[in-house]
Amino acid sequence: MAEPSNSEPATEKKQVPVQEGLFYQPKSPEEKPYLIGAKCTVCGYVCFPKLPVCPRCVKKDTMEEMHISGKGKIDTFSICYAALPGFQAPSIQAYINLEEGARIWSLITGVEPSDEMLKIGTDVELSIGKLREDAAGNEIMSYQFRPVKTKQEGQIA
Amino acid sequence: MREVVIIGVGMTRFGKFLERGLPDLGREAVWNAIEDANVPPKDIQIAYVANSIGYQLTELKGTIGQHVLAAAGFFGIPIINVENACSSGSTALRSACLEVASGNYDVALALGVEKLFCDNTARSAEAMASGTPYAKFGFMFPALYSMNLKKWMEKFAITQRQFAKVAVKNSKNGSLNPNAQFRKPLSIDDVLNSRVIAYPLTLYMCSTMGDGAAAAIVCTRDTARKYTTKPIIEVAACELVSGTVTLPDRPHEPLEARAAGLAYQKAGIGPEDVNVVEVHDGMAPAELMLYEELGLCKEGEGGRMIDEGKTEITGPIPVNPSGGLAAKGHPVAATGLAQIAEIVWQLRGEAGDRQVNNPRVGLTENAGGWVIDDNAACAVTILKR
Repeated sequence: MAEPSNSEPATEKKQVPVQEGLFYQPKSPEEKPYLIGAKCTVCGYVCFPKLPVCPRCVKKDTMEEMHISGKGKIDTFSICYAALPGFQAPSIQAYINLEEGARIWSLITGVEPSDEMLKIGTDVELSIGKLREDAAGNEIMSYQFRPVKTKQEGQIA
Repeated sequence: MREVVIIGVGMTRFGKFLERGLPDLGREAVWNAIEDANVPPKDIQIAYVANSIGYQLTELKGTIGQHVLAAAGFFGIPIINVENACSSGSTALRSACLEVASGNYDVALALGVEKLFCDNTARSAEAMASGTPYAKFGFMFPALYSMNLKKWMEKFAITQRQFAKVAVKNSKNGSLNPNAQFRKPLSIDDVLNSRVIAYPLTLYMCSTMGDGAAAAIVCTRDTARKYTTKPIIEVAACELVSGTVTLPDRPHEPLEARAAGLAYQKAGIGPEDVNVVEVHDGMAPAELMLYEELGLCKEGEGGRMIDEGKTEITGPIPVNPSGGLAAKGHPVAATGLAQIAEIVWQLRGEAGDRQVNNPRVGLTENAGGWVIDDNAACAVTILKR
């Protein structure tokens, strides 16, 4: 296990998901994160976060839970210099077209917030990261997307 | 259904009023409308009161309408509380109109009242973001506008400078409006050089926090003549929609366009018949997109509309003569009814320095909230003299 070799005594800081039932945060490096969405068994409509009723079919019990791999492309993005208290500014906010067909809102992390670093169509992948800290110092965790590293960059990592 | 008319409107100035509470603001707007309508207050039979944020930022945690109208002297009549984010005010008007149209009552009041400033600006900002459950993820409304605008800029070669021109026009209009929160006319350089919020949006393109209230009194045409000799303004349509979910195989129809389509159909007119417009420009550049969504011009011609001055007060189709949300101010639930008040004054010829040349038909568009990937609500109202 790749536990951090931190000699300091463990603090009481916890990682807390921003919302239960939204994503899976890996417990080991072998695991991959995923989003918990839903798919309509009749028409194939995919959504994240999950909806209990398909907005196209509008019938009972057609939606089933679906794990979304979190690969997609940036549909549109914005570098936002305004933020709510406790959140980082600037932030990169984006709509992402997921491989599975859903279009979702997310923050983009792991890249400098500048218009040169990103463009519409950039390949992005899911990562679970710290959104902010609460008053007790707990890390509020959320789903985020980051640009997919090119092969060359990936070899370094 | 019976024909419904507006006989009185009133509002407070919009601004920062730390010392004034919701009841005080609401009372002023209601009594301004009562005096404008020349209607005895006891003839008002029912009231719809719109408020969106009050329960979070004030000591009033429920039945805000009853508390506010108690300060205005109203007891005993049915009072219904309305919440539909930024479109709460228009939603209250629509409900009041339906009470009269249905024959249930002859005289109805719609009030929108909001207080966003408190002693803690961070708390106000959080409350304003509460129009969606997505704020906890870091979701920001300006970024949302920015993303839509960037796509649209690319598609039709619209420039940031054209967006700045909208803010310039609206600040000029706001400078002529005694009820506006901001009365300083801005230059293109002022707007472009103000702080970037989320490109292409700069600070002076964005609406901000405000306190205020606005009200309208509606009745049947026959009843109206008992009270007033002023021009009677017909509510030709007041249509409300909610947002849709974008399906991958279907193009998304903007909810503003859907609401406008319903309103034009109900009023039996087209966009070419409209003489004056108030739109919900939470961020000034959105006004250009709305020109197209409301059918005031063809798709892709929004930029040309502002370049050619067509939507100036002196132009052929003036938009936001009041100053719009950025200049007049945007006390959430009061905004829709302040738009209505502006159009009523314009149609009566009472708009003073910002009077449009002899309009006969006016339109308001008032959208709000965010659910999944669309606004939560949008109301389009058409008024006729």
